[in-house]
Amino acid sequence: TARATAVVMCMDVGLSMSNSAPGEESPFELAKKVIQKFVQRQVFSETKVELALVLFGTDSTDNPLSQNGQYQHIRVHRHLMVPDFDLLIEIENQIQPENQQGDWLDALVVCMDLLHTETKGKKYDCLNIALLTDLNTQTNAESSNMNIHNVASQNEWPRGSGQKRPRSPRHRQRSFYGTEEKHGISERDHAKPGCGLPELCMFKRVERRPVAWPCQLTIGSSLSIRIVGYKALTEERLKKMWVTVDAQSNQKDDVKRETVYCLDDDNETEVQKDDTIQGFRYGSDIVPFSKVDQEQMKYKHDGKCFAVLGFTKQSMIRRHQFMGSQILKIFAARDDEHAGVALSALIRALNELQMVAIVRYAYDRRSNPQVGAAFPCIKKDYECLMYVQLPFMEDLRQFTFPSFESKKFTPSDAQLSAVDSLIDSMMLVEEDENGEQRDLFKPHHLPNPAFQRHFQCLHHRAVSPGTPLPPIEPWLKAALDRPEVIKEHSRAPLEELKRKFPLTEVEKKKKLKTSAQIFGKESEESDAKKAKEDETAEEYNLADIAEAPVIVFISLFGCGDPRDLPVCQQLTHRIEQLLSNKNTQYYMKSITCIQAFREQSVKLGNADHYNSYLQSLKRSIPNRGLEVFWELLVQGIIPDSPPQFLVAEEKKEEAAAGPVEDTGDVDDLVSEQFLFLTSCFFFFFFFFLFPLSLVLALNTCLYKLL
Amino acid sequence: MAEWNAYYRNEDDEEEQEEGEQSGGDYRATGRDSLVFLVDASKDMFIKGEDGEPSNFDMTMQVVRSVYTSKIISSHRDLVALVFYGTEQSKNPRNSFKHVYVYHDLNEPGAKRVQEVDALRGGKGAKLAAETMGSGETSLGDALWSCANLYSDIKLRLSHKRLMIFTCRDEPHEGDSVRDKQARTKASDLKETGVVIDLMHLMKPGGFDISLFFCDIVSPPEDESELGLQLEPCDKLEDLQKRVRAKEQKKRTIAKLNLCLGEGLNVAVGLYATAVAARKPGAIKLYRETNEPVRSKTRTFHTQTGSLLLPSEIKKAQFYGNKQIVMERDEVDAIKKFDDPGLVLIGFKPMEKLKLHHHIRPALFLYPEEDEVKGSSCLFSALLKKCSERNVFALCRCISRRNYPPRFVALLPQNEELGEGKVQITPPGFHVIYLPYADDMRNLEPPQFPSASHTQVDKMKEIVSKLRFKYRSDAFENPVIQQHFRNLEALALDMVAPEDIEDLIMPKVDQIDQRLGPLLQDFKDLVYPANYNPESKPAAKRKTADAGGGAEKKPKVELTEDELKAHVQNGTLGKLTVPVLKDACKQFGVRTTGTKKQELIDALIARLGS
Repeated sequence: TARATAVVMCMDVGLSMSNSAPGEESPFELAKKVIQKFVQRQVFSETKVELALVLFGTDSTDNPLSQNGQYQHIRVHRHLMVPDFDLLIEIENQIQPENQQGDWLDALVVCMDLLHTETKGKKYDCLNIALLTDLNTQTNAESSNMNIHNVASQNEWPRGSGQKRPRSPRHRQRSFYGTEEKHGISERDHAKPGCGLPELCMFKRVERRPVAWPCQLTIGSSLSIRIVGYKALTEERLKKMWVTVDAQSNQKDDVKRETVYCLDDDNETEVQKDDTIQGFRYGSDIVPFSKVDQEQMKYKHDGKCFAVLGFTKQSMIRRHQFMGSQILKIFAARDDEHAGVALSALIRALNELQMVAIVRYAYDRRSNPQVGAAFPCIKKDYECLMYVQLPFMEDLRQFTFPSFESKKFTPSDAQLSAVDSLIDSMMLVEEDENGEQRDLFKPHHLPNPAFQRHFQCLHHRAVSPGTPLPPIEPWLKAALDRPEVIKEHSRAPLEELKRKFPLTEVEKKKKLKTSAQIFGKESEESDAKKAKEDETAEEYNLADIAEAPVIVFISLFGCGDPRDLPVCQQLTHRIEQLLSNKNTQYYMKSITCIQAFREQSVKLGNADHYNSYLQSLKRSIPNRGLEVFWELLVQGIIPDSPPQFLVAEEKKEEAAAGPVEDTGDVDDLVSEQFLFLTSCFFFFFFFFLFPLSLVLALNTCLYKLL
Repeated sequence: MAEWNAYYRNEDDEEEQEEGEQSGGDYRATGRDSLVFLVDASKDMFIKGEDGEPSNFDMTMQVVRSVYTSKIISSHRDLVALVFYGTEQSKNPRNSFKHVYVYHDLNEPGAKRVQEVDALRGGKGAKLAAETMGSGETSLGDALWSCANLYSDIKLRLSHKRLMIFTCRDEPHEGDSVRDKQARTKASDLKETGVVIDLMHLMKPGGFDISLFFCDIVSPPEDESELGLQLEPCDKLEDLQKRVRAKEQKKRTIAKLNLCLGEGLNVAVGLYATAVAARKPGAIKLYRETNEPVRSKTRTFHTQTGSLLLPSEIKKAQFYGNKQIVMERDEVDAIKKFDDPGLVLIGFKPMEKLKLHHHIRPALFLYPEEDEVKGSSCLFSALLKKCSERNVFALCRCISRRNYPPRFVALLPQNEELGEGKVQITPPGFHVIYLPYADDMRNLEPPQFPSASHTQVDKMKEIVSKLRFKYRSDAFENPVIQQHFRNLEALALDMVAPEDIEDLIMPKVDQIDQRLGPLLQDFKDLVYPANYNPESKPAAKRKTADAGGGAEKKPKVELTEDELKAHVQNGTLGKLTVPVLKDACKQFGVRTTGTKKQELIDALIARLGS
């Protein structure tokens, strides 16, 4: 099971941290930003990380080691616990530059002590201390020597920044001293100003712990190889959904959603859910089909399966026919060398023959079987099969598209060469002097911008409630855009392209085939029957008819007889239709209709129909539970336009509720991956370093603490 | 008004909406598709081919049936009609046309209709056709007129109207110029009202000459090239099926977008879904007493006051770090918006940079929309040609719909390929491959194994070669969906039992074994030791299973207070199991809210540690 990671952030808030060149951010500001971003990431990723915050250079002293004037100006701001928004708000508001100079080594000792006492008896994967300081304070070399020894002897491996894995303690010590003696950080660590900030600004990427799917690869009846599959790649979604809360109390318990069923008759007779059965459409027929029958008659299979149907040339599998939303990597079972050899033989055979295995894949009994291709994949340090789903016959749509081989669309040589130079100028992969390829734009290294933006907005709202949402962060915008070099290089070829290819936007009449248009053309007829037809045609187009019925009405009124009863019926019928959806959006449409009805009646000096309809509508309100509508109507009918907020688009909001049918997949049981803070921290400091100040990360991994 | 609700999506259907991007278009905006089969029922159609090949009529009925059933599965809301011409008997709404037999008027295909088409298949079918309809004079003009009436009798809005003529006679009126002229006039009337007329001409001795008559009847092909008319007549069921299938589904854009190459350089393109995972359609709720469909209405109301809540009285919230974060509903949408929909070119990369495993969802297809921006096709085809020649793909940022966050896509060039009889096998255009973000990639720790030796690999190569076959993407039917519809069919038609389905994705084990012969054993001898059994679970696991006996409970371990304190002091609580820890909590009256190990440990430390 996943165990927690403990991190002590140790920040220098002392005097020198506030110094900065004009126009530059002070080390203090940068360090604060680093800590904020880091805490944010932890809060939103909800990983098992416990954080503590120790400040030094503080005016006051508050730590368990302070005695007899020792360990002064060090304050334990927060003890080891799960980070939350309170911590973020505290960092935002309470951490200010102070006026003392603290000893960073003393602070480190306080951190060690804190880690030691507060992690006692609990299991942690990893313990870390992150020190943020400009190292502008003197420290006693002798004591530092002693302390480091102390640390090492306790099996805690202090680590300098930039190294991924702990090596021997001795080696560590040397590198640590090296850093200190130079009173700085190696060249590599002096990253270009600003270049690391985007990396840091990113919210942690969504991580999931890979879940093994053990199975047998079979060929025929007698050969089986023990394998294990992992989801290697899949479209990740946010884990949390939006919940609906009452706008006033902000309580979700105050809001209830209810679904009722009713017959499709004039009275909309409600029926109990228990009185309903399920059915399916078979073309125009609806076939009652109970759940029990369905379960009994449905396609059943033997469950878990990875069976070879045959082999085919890799070139027969087209990239664009990949189906599903994932790639599985198939390895031999972990503890089984023989399976390893057998699978390796298959992988290598496929690779040498440039072929793939076509397999039947079923995750388990409950899930639907698939057909897919297993590609050989041979990497420097491992071999595997890569499985991807292929289409069923039912999934394919064979469209034909007109050929470009006609004179009209054949580009001239001059046009082709313009495109050629555009491609030349926009190649994202280039070779440098050493013949090494450099890729300027790798989408799979970008964090999903939707997640970044989501967390940015959530954070903003949590820390600064009552203020509008911030714009998209500039670094994110830039990361999604064409690289600057490409922009520059492509300028001229693009201009050339513009000259060579005339593009003119086609002026279009609005494509909306509203009844208004139809009637605009045919209004002379003023044919009520026609209107009826048109209406039937529009039934299924409810979303579009916000304005349509009103327009219909007006045009009919304009050219026909206002006392033409069928027309009025037509309109009132539409109003009734809209009202049958007890939903504010449709209420608003009904109201718009009624307003139009009223206006036209007034204009034509004949309000009889309008008045009598409204009377009857009013009478029917209590029976039909339309009080809310009536209230709205009464409010809305007096002013010319309905209150703006009511027209607001009704839209889907709840985040995806998870797949409905094809249950079962390799990570259905996925739990969140615990965070190896070692690597995370490595990343953190490797990329982010201030120009003026120094960052020192000291990670201690107490793998054998207990 | 059942349709209303079927097309009105509830708030919690977002999943479906996301998938809407994948599905082939939106009926709501456009109306229904319709397809009329106009089939020649003259004597020539019933002539059997050599070697007992099915007659043209039989072949046509098979195709019609397969279209019916596929419509039921994939687009049941499309309307289909079946009309015969050149019959002896007449049957049409006003019976105003002779020799035209409307077998099915325009409607959604259902179980009964499938049965009725089935009845016309084979020898029996020919007999039935002769009895009910017979063969008589031909007036294509009347037949077309009758079809026009079918369209005008429909009260629903039709978006796409297609009419397919199946015949093996290139001179239906045998030189009667009056009837020829009448047919031409009626055809052009139909075309004017937006009906697309296709000819599915079938084999006839001496060849089918379109130029004699039918060239004036059919609609010109979309691209105004001669492509459509050069087609050879079909003589194989498979060809006919393919040809009908290609036309039968209206291609519909998922979205029309601009492909922005640079500032002010926008090519209009349409996105098409060419492969969409077919799913079992959802269940419909019916009223138990009458089996009539019921409508569901969802409303949101206040728990205490019971009044309906307006959209403005609702907000959205998420919980993080012990805090509830609340947003307005429109803010939730605004967060997702990065830019207006469109494709923006980032640059180009050599084809080998597109990694095989960078796959997150099925691809889409990109084709220019000359109707939106004139000149799009020319620039698009130049781009296609050059990308293909240079073997590069275009990397683009793609926002396919309003308020969708951006994704990166690779545009893969595909040249047009024509097969036999100049049927288009692959259309020209770009495939749109969705690329993953860092969040979508998972870190695995691959296990390390020794590689296989040459002899082992060579033996496997023999096996692979023996089981080689030619993969075709349309070769496998989905057994789950097929079974579902067979079940429905059986219920709808009151059959005793559903028809059996063949599970095409089941390995044909016997055949495989037979083909491989001793090869498998040879291979096993090469890679597995004598006593190795890959079917068995690893030994260690079985042992615990045996010893534990599954349900048997372990004897309770009770800890004394001293022992527990010692654990706390030494920090070794973690070594105890969760049940033991729970018992300990109970024993010492420690209240815990959680059941996770760490929570239990924390609680115990809090109590006993100080």
